[in-house]
Amino acid sequence: MSSPSDADVIRRSLGVPEAFGIIYDRHAATLLRFLGRRAGVKVAEGLLGELFRIAFERRTTFDPSRASALPWLYGIGANLLAKHRRGEARWLRASARMAAGEATDGRASAAALDARVLFPRVADAIEALPDDEREALLLFAWEDLSYQSMADALQVPIGTVRSRLSRARARLRELIEPNGKDMVKAR
Amino acid sequence: MKPEELARKLRREPVFGPAALERGKEALMAAIRQEVERRRRPAVVPQVPYADIRAALAFLERAFGFREIPTARFVSADGVLLHATVEFGNSLIGVGGQGHHGAVSPMSGGVESQFISVQVDDVDAHYRRAVAAGARIADELRDHSWGERTYWALDLEGHRWRFGQQMSDVPHS
Repeated sequence: MSSPSDADVIRRSLGVPEAFGIIYDRHAATLLRFLGRRAGVKVAEGLLGELFRIAFERRTTFDPSRASALPWLYGIGANLLAKHRRGEARWLRASARMAAGEATDGRASAAALDARVLFPRVADAIEALPDDEREALLLFAWEDLSYQSMADALQVPIGTVRSRLSRARARLRELIEPNGKDMVKAR
Repeated sequence: MKPEELARKLRREPVFGPAALERGKEALMAAIRQEVERRRRPAVVPQVPYADIRAALAFLERAFGFREIPTARFVSADGVLLHATVEFGNSLIGVGGQGHHGAVSPMSGGVESQFISVQVDDVDAHYRRAVAAGARIADELRDHSWGERTYWALDLEGHRWRFGQQMSDVPHS
């Protein structure tokens, strides 16, 4: 017997609330990593329970034509992260410093110098993106979500996802390239 | 390098303690329990006044099988029990103080303006339990034409209770 889809489980949880625990068991680890990549361990651990509590309370709004609940859960998580923008920015800058440190690895080559300059600039550029574009970029680049999953998570048409992503790419290119330096400063 | 590949370089994998997932689950299960509880809670809860709440609780459990919900006790700052809740099946009954909110015990009021009707699984056993606990029987166990078997009892302050069991599926007419 194949295991029931998330949609089946959520439908069942309308009558038997305890069934929603299965949704947690299936997806909590993924969502915990998502929250952690975005805002760090501490914030993620604090938000995980809240994310699933909200999902449980809103489970009547889950679109049952979607077999997997994962994009829907990502959407709830993204909304929660919006209240932790400052922590997110701090975590991202720290990640940039670490990435630069790993890339340079004590060497003083030209490439290492580039990394030390480049990664903080990438972090600044991501930070400077409008919220909806940053969200799209990070769901794509960090979570490897498909366009359809992103559309489900952000509750926008797939075309909107594409245009947000391409705007984010264009802006990032502009901000990262050496002649875009001033724009980084000017945000 | 493509912009999204650059962004990917900044992805840092967080390392969580072993209990992180368990704590999240506990938070979810607490929310689930709350909803289960809320659903179980009946919409209508009779409030029955007694001059002696503690004695009433003991009697209601011993004689009729009502179980107090300990967490639902309402106690004043100086330790006086003001209100308690007992459950039976999926139903609740509030046990409050005599004279509170204008409700009086028949012991002082002299009349019973209402009675409470309870469906039980085994009315004969229930009857024996009530008698053994000293309940006054107001109407003996008997069968009715609509297929129900009932008895009536008065509790220690004179509130009137009716206990019944549907023995067969004779339709009400």
